[in-house]
Amino acid sequence: MDSAIHSVIREEGRCVGCVDCSKACPTKAIRVRDDLMRIDPATCIDCGECIRACRYDAVHARTSSPSDLKRFKYTVAVPSTTIYTQFGSDFTPAQVAGALVTANGFDSFYDVTWMCEMVSRAVDTYLSECGGPWPKISVTCPAIIRLILIRYPDLVPHLIPVHTPRELAAKVARRKFAAALGMPPDDIGIFYITPCSAMMQSIVAPVGLAESHFDGAFSIAALYGPILRALKVDAHGLDERFNPSGLAWAMSGGETAGMRNKNSLSVTGVHDVTSVFDTIEAGKFQNVDFIEAYVCPDGCVSGQLLVEGRYAARRTLQRMQARMKGQSAVAEEKVRSMFRDHFFDMEGEIKAPAIKPMTETLQQAIRRRQEKHRLLDQLPKKDCAACGAPDCTTLAEDVLAGEAQLTDCVFVKLKEYEAGRR
Amino acid sequence: MDEPVLYRESFAITGDDFEHGGDAAAAVKLVMKDLGLDPAIVRRLSIANFEAEMNVIMYAREGRMDLLITPNEVRVVVADSGPGIEDIELAMQEGYSTATAEMRARGFGAGMGLPNIKRSTDTFEIESEVGRGTTLRYSVRLERPPNGTR
Repeated sequence: MDSAIHSVIREEGRCVGCVDCSKACPTKAIRVRDDLMRIDPATCIDCGECIRACRYDAVHARTSSPSDLKRFKYTVAVPSTTIYTQFGSDFTPAQVAGALVTANGFDSFYDVTWMCEMVSRAVDTYLSECGGPWPKISVTCPAIIRLILIRYPDLVPHLIPVHTPRELAAKVARRKFAAALGMPPDDIGIFYITPCSAMMQSIVAPVGLAESHFDGAFSIAALYGPILRALKVDAHGLDERFNPSGLAWAMSGGETAGMRNKNSLSVTGVHDVTSVFDTIEAGKFQNVDFIEAYVCPDGCVSGQLLVEGRYAARRTLQRMQARMKGQSAVAEEKVRSMFRDHFFDMEGEIKAPAIKPMTETLQQAIRRRQEKHRLLDQLPKKDCAACGAPDCTTLAEDVLAGEAQLTDCVFVKLKEYEAGRR
Repeated sequence: MDEPVLYRESFAITGDDFEHGGDAAAAVKLVMKDLGLDPAIVRRLSIANFEAEMNVIMYAREGRMDLLITPNEVRVVVADSGPGIEDIELAMQEGYSTATAEMRARGFGAGMGLPNIKRSTDTFEIESEVGRGTTLRYSVRLERPPNGTR
């Protein structure tokens, strides 16, 4: 995997080589070498935990730049539902969307909340018709998909092959605007307004698609100031274009709340998610139909590229939904017929990465494991990460892979030094 | 059974230690993943190991889970000193369970434990003596022969 397709980038000159990011990384993809953090592209899942952990603002998400808008004759912003939780509940979704467009140089915007509810119905239909293995797992969070591909490849058949609302919205938006404007579809730039680094990555290197329907993505935090300045409290009421059930997708539990099938489970935070995935691997939860999983605590509302704290954002969302209640709902019959017409299908199949050709025999693997334990016996097991690896076990693995030395450990070095003095 | 044992590791299980229920099975899973065994094999054995471990925790005083890897198979032996099983044939029937209402309320004791272990594995043997204990031996075949390239 090429590092160019990952969304997490290190800001030169800011990284001091502390170990916060490497300790925070759930897949142990980060090493600190020569006082700089380095990400292994093969194990990075773009969850953004390193962005969150960095005290020096040295890790950023790669996003589009304003100059990317100039490549298109017409540009459309498709904002994540989380954007509406960022400006308090005095502003309606329509006002936020309006300010987003005018303040940032887009020509128009396309709503994703209706598509969220349609996807809820489509997933209901899929669940009622599909076979095992159970439980099925949502594909909404791109970091979850990568976690499964890298750490839980045998859970790939559990992923639901129903496209995400954001990608479907982008597909429909391009078609709709091209027809309305009489322009070639390629002249229209469709940009996602994202709460997290993983979404960006899903656009640059999508899973289950030939390519994403988006042309790029902007961070909500980066557009926050211009939107805030452009927002105006006016006399307009709520815009009926927005779907309250879809808005709920901004937060964990929103996806399952919008479904008819209630035999589901919602899990958030990378630690809890791995625990649930381990449980599924142990053959449990087969009586559950649907699992909604997000690497961020509370779901998208705590994405690293948001400004408002997640508790305030949750409150805004709840107040907004209370005001909007009564508005809904998509025509179920229509969704079912669209489902049969393959409207919700992904363009490709999510496949587990080809198992690496075994470079070692069983005997060699066993020797490697024994050797690893022999090395581990010499390490202090303090997991201080001063060596550059996040913990002692990982250092032992790196030594075996020829990427580090046992003496990278300061405790081992100290022992050697003391032995030399005696 | 005369094949050389390439790898052996043993994990203790303590009766009634629900707090650490599943830890032995999880540790064995980590070993198998670390050795690069086929995910399907890891999964089948993990299901069996979890069931076997919970049986020891629910019914026995103590036990061990031994992992043995030969060139052709992954073998697990779960031996406990516990009450033993009076009627093995009955215990092997799906839905049969001696679990208490409390155990069932916690999701255990659906009478699927032993049948599930048998279903998930390629070979399965059970030996039990009332008042002494129970030993389960089961294994899953490694797909490719050990001629250098698994």
